[in-house]
Amino acid sequence: MNILNILIDTVSSPGSTSDYLPIAIQLIFAAGFVATMIALSHWIGPKRNTSDKLENFTSGIETHGDARQPMAIKYFLVAILFVLFDVEVIFFYPYAVNFKELGWSGFFEIILFVAFFLIGFIYIIKSGALKWED
Amino acid sequence: MNAIILSAIWAVIMMLGSFMVKRKGNFRHIAAFGLLVLFVANIADTYGYSLFNFNNHGFLQFTRFGYLFNSIAIFSSLIYVLITGKEISRYGNHTAEYFALIFFVMCGVSMLAFYNNLLTLFLGIEIMTIPLYILTGSDKRNMKSNEAALKYFLMGSFSTGIMLMGIVFSYGGTGTFSLDVSRAGIPNLYNHVASFLEIVGLLLLLVSLAFKVSAAPFHFWTPDVYDGAPSVFTSFMATIVKAAGFIAFIKLCLVRMTATSAAIDWKMIFAIIIIATLLVGNITAVFQQSVKRMLAYSSIAQAGFMLFSLFSVNDFAKEGILLYSAAYSLATIGIFAVLVKMKDYTFEGYNGLAKKQPLLAATNTVFLLSLAGIPLTAGFFAKYYMLAAVVKTGSYLWLVIVAVLFAAVSVYYYFRVIQAMYFKDGNAETEAITPSFKAGLLLVAALIILIGVYPGIILNWLYF
Amino acid sequence: MPIQYYIALASCLFCIGVVGVLTRRNAIIIFMCIELMLNAVNLLLVAFSKMSFGAHPGASEIAAGTDAQLFVFFIMVVAAAEVSVGLAIIVMMYRNIHSVDINFLNRLKN
Repeated sequence: MNILNILIDTVSSPGSTSDYLPIAIQLIFAAGFVATMIALSHWIGPKRNTSDKLENFTSGIETHGDARQPMAIKYFLVAILFVLFDVEVIFFYPYAVNFKELGWSGFFEIILFVAFFLIGFIYIIKSGALKWED
Repeated sequence: MNAIILSAIWAVIMMLGSFMVKRKGNFRHIAAFGLLVLFVANIADTYGYSLFNFNNHGFLQFTRFGYLFNSIAIFSSLIYVLITGKEISRYGNHTAEYFALIFFVMCGVSMLAFYNNLLTLFLGIEIMTIPLYILTGSDKRNMKSNEAALKYFLMGSFSTGIMLMGIVFSYGGTGTFSLDVSRAGIPNLYNHVASFLEIVGLLLLLVSLAFKVSAAPFHFWTPDVYDGAPSVFTSFMATIVKAAGFIAFIKLCLVRMTATSAAIDWKMIFAIIIIATLLVGNITAVFQQSVKRMLAYSSIAQAGFMLFSLFSVNDFAKEGILLYSAAYSLATIGIFAVLVKMKDYTFEGYNGLAKKQPLLAATNTVFLLSLAGIPLTAGFFAKYYMLAAVVKTGSYLWLVIVAVLFAAVSVYYYFRVIQAMYFKDGNAETEAITPSFKAGLLLVAALIILIGVYPGIILNWLYF
Repeated sequence: MPIQYYIALASCLFCIGVVGVLTRRNAIIIFMCIELMLNAVNLLLVAFSKMSFGAHPGASEIAAGTDAQLFVFFIMVVAAAEVSVGLAIIVMMYRNIHSVDINFLNRLKN
């Protein structure tokens, strides 16, 4: 009866850890239900192992070769460029935090930063680093 | 400020120029013009005509010393582009990008000339070295160039990691990244001078900067990298970049290490490094068969001499390091300009050069004499100032004797090249030599002799 | 938690990185060890900044330690630039000799 009391009586002491007990019970129940269902279907359900079933599912297209082939260099290039441009965004954080205090001078400085950024981007596009088709 | 910003802008111009200018030959003219603009702008800046005026919050400090070094570095790279610029277009079809990278390096060099904060020191060194990794590996199909690039990259970023640890320890000890520290409110002082953390940090910084300037226990990457990189870029790396490393180093010594000298005997440490550097550089250079590799080891030996300025941080040392970087840069750029034109890099390849190309042999002799420190050349006064600075400190006088002995050893391997050029029969093969190239070499040789006769021509700039 | 713990942790990470660089033979793993060194530095910088251990006697109370956090940003950005150049060099080498083992780097020795 004590457990049920806890389930009903949730308002009794606000902020204490016992408030989270119903949630914990629900979590345990959900996980247990899922685990039981998977286990049941595994034991009860019929099993037919054919060679087709052991293959990777690739939307009906036949697989060929090993997946660990050397990748084309253009993927590498795009990944590297992503890393570079992604990390540069970090400098917006200090600006965003002090947005109001820095005022217009800060705005012009960040514009300058973005301009340098864009020149690099223009260079990348112009030199064809982002072209995927040959 | 002019030099830092203009070099970055010019690098961007060169970068965009790569698909706007069609003729490859034009790039070196644009680059040479850009360096001229930088040179003029830097001199204007020295006398207070700054194009860009904004508060840098003490991150940079503009001194006459920095300005003068910057002028020397820009002038040397102008000479470099003028006499070897044509060779740069040899490696692939990214000539404009190579020049852009050189301008980025110049930006880093300028930052190192003016830095007053460990953050700007770190940024300057990184801006300077990251383009160099690319330049080292620019000969993509050549295994040696690949290998040199990878080695340089791994060693360079390793030393960067050590440097950052040094910076953060020193920050923990002093509470600021700025070079000038007020040591009043810091707890846990060690010998009443500095906290223990700062000493550890400064030691780590010393190790990493010794890496960058290839001082002895940390020199092992230098011969391989200088040998493997395309000769044109070795010339740039061994001169301007190395001198900038020393300028960064001496500034750190002048401020931080002088202030903490009561806590730890920096002079002792530097004396050991100097002896080891001179020993390794000179002795190994004697046994080399390739002139390029000999020059790599001799650059370690020259670094040993430049380290004297860090040992004896006084006014003489400051003047001496400026004179040394000018003399060493000019002579090495000249030697490499000749080397690039040679078909065979071994000593035998130089046999009989004096008969086929008398002017090349004569100017090359001047450069080699300057590196060896023979009087009437710039190298003599450079070495003289270094040793005089040590004498002025009044301690460790035996270092001077050791240095003179090693200078005598260095004469042997420099004279081997002269001997091959003049006194051996052979058929030294060179590529086509243009009159403008000869004129450039003559100009460099004239400058070296001019500085050698009258060193005040550079040093007066420090005061007027 | 006292600052000494952070210093010890960061030093340990840093030393693991150094030992890795000196002993491993795979270029990529050496590279990862270098990144570990840089991240040890970042950790220590943030710790110093948070502890305000590095509060400069002259600095105002609010700004104390923020310079260290900004330094972390710069380290991250420079590390990214280094990663891109370094990986490009490693890929270039892989295309030529089909290996990233640095034991193959001995052509320049002789």
